[in-house]
Amino acid sequence: MAIRINTATFQSDLYRSFAFPQPKPLRSPKFAMASTIGSATTKVESTKKPFTPPREVHQQVLHSMPPQKIEIFKSMEGWAEDNILVHLKPVEKCWQAQDFLPDPASDGFMEQVEELRARAKEIPDDYFVVLVGDMITEEALPTYQTMLNTLDGVRDETGASPTSWAIWTRAWTAEENRHGDVLHQYLYLSGRVDMRQIQKTIQYLIGSGMDPRTENSPYLGFIYTSFQERATFISHGNTARHAKEHGDVKLAQMCGIIAADEKRHETAYTKIVEKLFEIDPDGTVLAFADMMRKKISMPAHLMYDGRDDNLFENFSAVAQRLGVYTAKDYADILEFLVGRWKVADLTGLSGEGRKAQEYVCGLAPRIRRLEERNSAKAKESVNVPFSWIFDREVKL
Amino acid sequence: MAAVPVTCVRLTTSMQIVGKTSALKLVSMGRNKSGFPCLRTSRFQISCVAKPETVNKVCEIVKTQLALGADTVVAPDSKFASLGADSLDTVEIVMTLEEEFGISVEEENSQNITTVQEAADLIEKLVEKKNATA
Repeated sequence: MAIRINTATFQSDLYRSFAFPQPKPLRSPKFAMASTIGSATTKVESTKKPFTPPREVHQQVLHSMPPQKIEIFKSMEGWAEDNILVHLKPVEKCWQAQDFLPDPASDGFMEQVEELRARAKEIPDDYFVVLVGDMITEEALPTYQTMLNTLDGVRDETGASPTSWAIWTRAWTAEENRHGDVLHQYLYLSGRVDMRQIQKTIQYLIGSGMDPRTENSPYLGFIYTSFQERATFISHGNTARHAKEHGDVKLAQMCGIIAADEKRHETAYTKIVEKLFEIDPDGTVLAFADMMRKKISMPAHLMYDGRDDNLFENFSAVAQRLGVYTAKDYADILEFLVGRWKVADLTGLSGEGRKAQEYVCGLAPRIRRLEERNSAKAKESVNVPFSWIFDREVKL
Repeated sequence: MAAVPVTCVRLTTSMQIVGKTSALKLVSMGRNKSGFPCLRTSRFQISCVAKPETVNKVCEIVKTQLALGADTVVAPDSKFASLGADSLDTVEIVMTLEEEFGISVEEENSQNITTVQEAADLIEKLVEKKNATA
């Protein structure tokens, strides 16, 4: 297994955030000569054991929010009940996976399945690679509920805590749970993909977890989730659009309904951060800059299927090529959040706060410029097998 | 009489080999697979001394990128990181150097650029290569 130590170049770090196309795939061992630049997050695979999934090996920082700020979140519980829980949908009004799949209790079940498979046949492999990657990400939900419960001041202390924050987290998890379910069942019935390999990947991924570097701070945590919900909204929206283009209206509806959930969640999380900007503008802008400096890493960046050491990178490259989720989207989301939270208009900031404000406001154009430069570079086209589709190859 | 083995060349970390031709002669390592001695390891570098104009240009670019005041000293061996550069700054510095000197820096090489001197050296190498193939 190759040791791949990412040095501190932005390009290498960025692959965890979106597919940053590299002129040559990084295969050979690389040794950091400048490990002091920035805070290099490294992904290291053990050379001793074969088939070991990647691990986060950056220093895992805990409780970076000063404990006195926990009070802020306690005092926000009433506000959260009135302003955040309203973005949850009552279960009776919610869609369920069955609404989008052949009905096993009906006489027409087999026929419906045949129709589903006939439509799926018309959809190309590269689309399925991206859909599978998205499904695997959704299926790693236990990691995300865990992550929310690492946050100080808002965690669910018992598993059934009556605080608004805990109610939100459990209900959010329940809503998200349907996403993995519906995609899993669709992919199972489609016949286009290797379910066993996919299921193995899910098991590895849940086992790996992830550290989004939110350091138990709800400031960092809710900024991260705001970004992520918007990212998933964009990405499922794109897979919906592509499904339609490939002639599968039902699949398009499925992806579309998932995207609608993500939009509602995005609204809730961005509202929380908006309130934090009101209560503690300096602390919140510092948190925003901190998350952006560390880069928003994708939840499934540690994905592994037992075969491909570069699985996430390869999957991201396909998602980038198909326009499902791109570097440009990353910059757009950042720009959107800067606008949504009116970061440029903040006043009364400390010296550090002003630096953070400047950094965050100036960052999106810099990323865009980088991405433009990079896409202008001629790249050799590489075809890579994916175990999720029985080792059939797809262009990166 | 036993022949003196050619491989008895010990290179120490403090040795700096100036100029390319002397480097080639000193480093005949006997049986070398590619025939060309490859000495890029993490321990030492063969640095060809870059022209002062190149070094100055790099300093200028670094100062602009990092918005450093006129009184901040940027020496050839200044590490970008200690001047306050994060990874994005470093990539942008490399990008600007590419534009300024009309060269293209490969990913592997860009990761080895941590000081002004390293940047200047790499630039000279790439410019020379470019001119050679022109």
